[in-house]
Amino acid sequence: MKITGGKVYDPANGINGEVRDLHIVDGKFADNANGATGGREIDATGMIVFPGGVDVHTHVAGGSINFARAMTPEDHRRTQAFIRTQSRRSGLGGMAPTTFATGYLYAGMGFTTVNEAAVPALSARHTHEELSDIPIVDKSSCVLMANNEIMLDLMERGEYDRARDIVAWYVWAAKSYGVKAVNPGGVAAWKYGHDAKGMSTAIPGYNKLTPGDVVTQLARIIDDLGLPHPIHLHCNNLGAPGNVATTLETMKHLEGSRAHIAHMQYHAYGGDDWSTMRSESAQLADYFNAHPNMTTDAGAVLFGDTVTITADGPWQHLLYKLTGRKWGNLDVENETGCGIVPYTYKPSNLVNAVQWAVGLELLLLINDPWRVFLSTDHPNGACFWRYPEIIHLLMSNDFRQACMKKLTPAIKGKITLPEITREYTLYEIATIMSAGPARALGLRQKGNLGVGCDADVVIYEEDKDIERMFGHPRYVLKGGQVVIEEGDIRETPEGREFITRPSYNPDTEAFLKPIFEDCYTMSFENYPVEMERIEHPTMMDCVDVD
Amino acid sequence: MIKESSSPNSGSSGNSGNGTELKIVKNATCTFCGCVCDDIELHADDVRIHKAVKACVLGKAWFLNHTAERKYPDALIDGKEATVDEAIEAAAYHLYKADMPLVYGMSNTTCEAQKECVALADQLGGLLDSHTSL
Amino acid sequence: MYWGGNPAECHPRHFTKYTLMQKSKFLPRGRKDRTMALVDIRATKSAKAADIFLQVRPGKDFEMITILRAMVKGESIPESQIAETGLSLETLEDLVARMKAAKFGAIFFGMGLSMTRGKHMNSAALLTLAAEMNAFTKFVAMPMRGHGNVTGADVIMRWQTGYPFGISFNRGYPRYNPGEFSTVDVLVRGDCDAAFIIGADPGATMPQPAIDHLAAIPTICLDPHVTHTSKLAKVHITTAPAGIAAPGTGYRMDEIPLPLKPALNSPYPSDEEVVRRINQAIAKMPDWMPEGEPPMVLSQV
Repeated sequence: MKITGGKVYDPANGINGEVRDLHIVDGKFADNANGATGGREIDATGMIVFPGGVDVHTHVAGGSINFARAMTPEDHRRTQAFIRTQSRRSGLGGMAPTTFATGYLYAGMGFTTVNEAAVPALSARHTHEELSDIPIVDKSSCVLMANNEIMLDLMERGEYDRARDIVAWYVWAAKSYGVKAVNPGGVAAWKYGHDAKGMSTAIPGYNKLTPGDVVTQLARIIDDLGLPHPIHLHCNNLGAPGNVATTLETMKHLEGSRAHIAHMQYHAYGGDDWSTMRSESAQLADYFNAHPNMTTDAGAVLFGDTVTITADGPWQHLLYKLTGRKWGNLDVENETGCGIVPYTYKPSNLVNAVQWAVGLELLLLINDPWRVFLSTDHPNGACFWRYPEIIHLLMSNDFRQACMKKLTPAIKGKITLPEITREYTLYEIATIMSAGPARALGLRQKGNLGVGCDADVVIYEEDKDIERMFGHPRYVLKGGQVVIEEGDIRETPEGREFITRPSYNPDTEAFLKPIFEDCYTMSFENYPVEMERIEHPTMMDCVDVD
Repeated sequence: MIKESSSPNSGSSGNSGNGTELKIVKNATCTFCGCVCDDIELHADDVRIHKAVKACVLGKAWFLNHTAERKYPDALIDGKEATVDEAIEAAAYHLYKADMPLVYGMSNTTCEAQKECVALADQLGGLLDSHTSL
Repeated sequence: MYWGGNPAECHPRHFTKYTLMQKSKFLPRGRKDRTMALVDIRATKSAKAADIFLQVRPGKDFEMITILRAMVKGESIPESQIAETGLSLETLEDLVARMKAAKFGAIFFGMGLSMTRGKHMNSAALLTLAAEMNAFTKFVAMPMRGHGNVTGADVIMRWQTGYPFGISFNRGYPRYNPGEFSTVDVLVRGDCDAAFIIGADPGATMPQPAIDHLAAIPTICLDPHVTHTSKLAKVHITTAPAGIAAPGTGYRMDEIPLPLKPALNSPYPSDEEVVRRINQAIAKMPDWMPEGEPPMVLSQV
């Protein structure tokens, strides 16, 4: 197969808008020197060619998003409906799309790889069942560890090596790809209605272990294990005015380790309370720009209705109290938790206006597009299918200025967005939506149009209407197969799942089993997810981390 | 489809007391009630389960009352014995012909069968419902 | 707290495995560190396990929950309203004090609450009570699901269709309306003209007009036994019992999936295999959607 004449944006190979032909053999890019590749030829003359999008942080499968689906039937009935055809299952879009629709919507927007960012190991079997029902896109997942009480107990006792083995065991038991840390210690404390907000204060229920210790040790463990993706960290004190101090302190705890800071927008606030809340993105971006050990994703907010879901149980209780809306809470035994609250972001609300600005500010103030990625922390800040709106905001200062006119007048002096004139180029957009997140995930075959990489391509018609251009690609190819063409879903192939198998001391199971049997409700032998439940598993090797 | 686990726990053998070797399945899962206990040890021969260690009174009855005997005809059409192939064809015919078919139940069955049931209702353009609605 | 359920007889290991007996890091003495309250219309066997039993007057659960919600917030309740529940002010005050004093409260509610007068309104009120208790201490609530893998059906329907039950695909995409698309209503009104029944025996449990309609239309029944439903069905297919002779997955009531490990080999095919083959047979017939490309997107936000 051949794609000819398109203007190619391939940041992984430094190609910036050059007209190039792409050759595809057996689902991968091939060297055109090999001669005729046969098959279909797509004439992309005058069009724009990107590597398929990669979402580094999203919540699309498992107990929490499925709870959110149950809680929001009122949204399902007003949203986009996908009618069944002989080759394709029906589905619903909206705030918490059904699994089939999730695949259609991501692919329809040119995204071909997604990372499910929060998997409780106890219900990982459920997450994988849902992931295998998301068609077209390839998937990876991160298992939740920072509130696992078995690991916390080991850290409290200073048994670092044991803790490392346990983390490796859980990654493999959950058939995960990476490790997610959410509000380290805080979710464990939430089991008894508490939280952990200070990085240097002992976690409730522990004598000396602090969230800072957990962050430092878990990041080091993940580097020692050589997981392809570093610690995927949701910092303590999410959403709270003044939390920039916690975020900066967290980052200091990460020095010397690789780290991915999730949805940084929610962690970049100044002020003392809701009425004085302001943006501190400039301060955070300065620190971040000077510390190349980290990557981040925006967790940008867009105005409108959504449903918030996070393992951060105590935060969700606060959000329920603030809004008086529906609240779901799931405690996951001794591992983690989860809360769900539907939410509406309004430009007339000062807090929401600050959040909207902060997401964009971080994307604009962090100067290396290889380290900050497009995300809304779907569905928390907005639904993933609204990414084209964010791209529009990044590429057009005029549009940003027009949108800022709708913000509450109280915003004056609380954000820096009005002074920022930077506009993203197509090359930079290709970096933050594909090449960058693929590299951060350690997925070398993704976000890259080079020979040997997966032939995931999105082809846009050049259009002055940026949202239309990015929301409605002319063609989307996944593994060399045309899945979207002229606004229709052509094929819905099954995706793959990326998993890793970090090594651990062979006596880990013998050590863990009695502890496990003491505190879990499930049999130890039934706990690990069986390999045959993973749809098209692709093993990714661990790496050497300096 | 999920194949039966070939973990080291299944397929070991025990003794039934009357001399015949019994197959032992460790950490078996009981689906009688919503507790879904997964710590049951089953002792079975080819036909029936003789012991369900750790199961409660309801679970024991559940495991011991089902057998691998051919107690019932493979299928019935209008009350007359039929083959599974014939019954599948008849089922497909009647469901396809209906304007508003209903797919109902799904309690005492596996998730794998439940997924097929959702696909069936989707394909038929019919109704889909479970015990929950009662 | 158990409300309108009888775990001692219906979920016999619930106390020992999950709620009362386990010793833990923060509750090292197990049962001694816990308090159990039971609310029901009569003293079932579960009352013996409880520290306090509150006998609510039949049909007055919603009133009792509403009074508790008010008392939790420190509001005073007229005596006549308390009397309606069949309980005394002292009893309710004692319960509220114990709830607030708990480090972590959990309410499990059964069909005695969710299937009696008030139905889903009762469940909603109880969930609200649990949510509001979090202003004082950690509190959660969840239903005691019965019927084996009914939870699995809920979970799967939610991720594949967005809705947990009561779904119609007759416009080509899922819609939800309990009362309109729920089975008893559909059958009693005579709305459906064929029925596929699996893992259930409505012929034994549903109201007579619903059973009469099942008998009047082509009904297809899959079951390990020949059931009441099989006897009124046009087609019955015997299948292997799940978890005993058919492998797969089952969901626990708290939505944790567990692998099923069959001990027997059945002479009959599994439900999964039979339904898949029916799907394949139907897929060979012309599609019911009108000819031509159906619209991919029906509506925009």
